[in-house]
Amino acid sequence: MARLSYAVLGLALFLLLWEAAPRLGLIQSLFLPPPSAIPGAFLGELRAGFWVDAVLASLGHYLLGLAVGTASGTALGIAAALNDRLEAGLSWVVRILRPVPGLAWVPFAVVWFGITEAAATFIIVVGVFWINYYAAFGAAKAVDRDLLEVADAFGHGGTWPRLVKVVLPGSTAGILAGVRTGLGQAWMAVVAAELFGVPGLGQRMMQASSLLATDVVVVYMITIAALYGLTDAIFVQVRDRLLAWQR
Amino acid sequence: MAALIDIRDLAIGYGDAPPVLEGFSATLEPGSFTALVGPSGVGKSTLLRVLSGLAAPRAGSVALPGRAQPGRRTTAMVFQEARLLPWRRVAGNVAFGLEGLGLPSTERRARAEETLALVGLGEMGRRWPHQLSGGQRQRVNLARALAVAPELLLLDEPFSALDAITRHTLQDELLRLWRETGTTILFVTHDLDEAVYLADRVILLGGRPARAVRDFRVDLHRPRERDTTAFAERVRELRGALSESVADGAGI
Ligand SMILES: Nc1ncnc2c1ncn2[C@@H]1O[C@H](COP(=O)(O)OP(=O)(O)OP(=O)(O)O)[C@@H](O)[C@H]1O
Ligand SMILES: [Mg+2]
Repeated sequence: MARLSYAVLGLALFLLLWEAAPRLGLIQSLFLPPPSAIPGAFLGELRAGFWVDAVLASLGHYLLGLAVGTASGTALGIAAALNDRLEAGLSWVVRILRPVPGLAWVPFAVVWFGITEAAATFIIVVGVFWINYYAAFGAAKAVDRDLLEVADAFGHGGTWPRLVKVVLPGSTAGILAGVRTGLGQAWMAVVAAELFGVPGLGQRMMQASSLLATDVVVVYMITIAALYGLTDAIFVQVRDRLLAWQR
Repeated sequence: MAALIDIRDLAIGYGDAPPVLEGFSATLEPGSFTALVGPSGVGKSTLLRVLSGLAAPRAGSVALPGRAQPGRRTTAMVFQEARLLPWRRVAGNVAFGLEGLGLPSTERRARAEETLALVGLGEMGRRWPHQLSGGQRQRVNLARALAVAPELLLLDEPFSALDAITRHTLQDELLRLWRETGTTILFVTHDLDEAVYLADRVILLGGRPARAVRDFRVDLHRPRERDTTAFAERVRELRGALSESVADGAGI
C-alpha cells in the first residue's frame, strides 16, 4: 500500500514539474509541450484517423517481426546448445554478426526490400534474434544433466523425446526471460524501422516532428509506452501460467 | 514371474582410464533381493548405470529378460537424489516412464494413480514436486520406477539422505512392494544394517579394479528384527569383511 501511494505521488510530482516548466517560462512550450496539451493533440490525431492507422500498422510489423525473430532465434539457440558441431560451426559467425547494431541493417533492409513492410519486419527480426538466440542457448545448455539422464533411463533417450520432455520445459524460464527483453527491444526496432518511411507510429512521429508539432510527437511517445506496457503485462500473465510449477 | 538376470565377465571404465570394475559376474535369481555394498568410489553406481543401459560396458555381457512385456520396462532406476521433473506434477512424474510404452492415456493415468497410492501418496498427485517433503519426493522417485513394472529394479542408495525413522518406514514399504510385485531388486547401499535388513544376499565389491570379493546369504527369516543377536551378528560379519577388503585394496 505504501509502495502504491509513493508511486502515485512520484507520478503526480513528475507531471506537475512537466506542466510547470513551460508555464513558468522556464522552457518554450514548443520545445516541451505541457501535459495539458496532450489530450487535445491526441483527439486531433484520433479524429483524423491517423492514430488508429499508425497503431495498427506498427502492431502488424511488431507482432510479425517479434514472432519470426523470437522463433528463429530460439530455435537456432536450442539447436546449437544440443549439437556441438553446430555450436562450433556458428561460433565465429555469431561473434561477427552479433555486435552489429540493428540500425546498421537499415541500409541493407532498404536495398533488399525497398521501403516496405518487409523491410520494417526485417529490422525488427534482427533486433530480437540475438537476444533470443543467447537466452535459449544459455537456458538449454544449463538444463540439468541429471534430468536428461532420467529421460534416458526411462526410455526417452532419443533426440526428439529429450527435447520435448526435458530440454524445452527445462529451459522455458530462461527462454521467456529472453522473449521479455525482446518485447521491449522490438518496439525500439519498430520506431527505428518506420523512421525511414514505412507507415506506422515512427513515421507519424517523424512527420509531426518535421512540422514542429511536438505535442503530437509526445502523443506517439506515450502511445508506444502504453503499447509496450500492455504487451509486457499480457506477457507476464502468460509466463506466470507457463511457469506455475516454480515456487 | 521375472526371469533370471545373468551378468558375465563385465568390465567397465571411463574414457582411457584403467577399468573401474573388471571380471564381475553374478546371477540374480528371479524375484530375489540383492544388496550391493562396498567402499565409496569402488564402482557401485557405475555398475548400476551399465545394468540400466545408461552406459555401455567395455567387455562382458548383461543378459536381461529379453524384450520387456507390453506395458513394462526391463529395468528401472531409483536415483540417489529424487531427480523429479519440477515442471510436472507428482502424477506426471510417476507417469513419465509409462509414456512411450504404447499405453492409452487413461491407462497411464490409472497406473500412475495406483502406484502413488501404493507408496502412500494417493492424495498428492496434483502437487508440484517442490510442495513435497524430502521423504515424499523419494517416494515419488520410487513410484516412478515401480510404475513401469520393471523386471529388474535398480536402487542407488535411495534412502541415504533421509532421517532414520523415514528411512525405516520406506524400507518396510519397499519390502511390501517387493513381495507384492515379485520384481528382482538390486539395491546399492553404504548402510550395512540396511543391507542385512532388506536383502537375501549381499554382494561386497572391493579392490581396484573392483570385483565381487564376498557373496553373503542372509538367511534370517522375515520380518526381520534389528535388535536380535542374529541380526547384529550378520552386520558384524559384513563390517569385518568390508574393512578387510578396504585394507587389502590399498589406495582406495
Ligand atoms: N564420469 C566419470 N568419469 C571418470 N571417472 C568417473 C566418473 N564417474 C565416476 N568415476 C570414477 O569411477 C569410480 C567409481 O565411481 P562410482 O560412482 O561408481 O562409485 P560408487 O561405488 O558408487 O561410490 P559411492 O559409494 O561414493 O557412491 C570412482 O573412482 C570415480 O572416481
Ligand atoms: Mg554411488
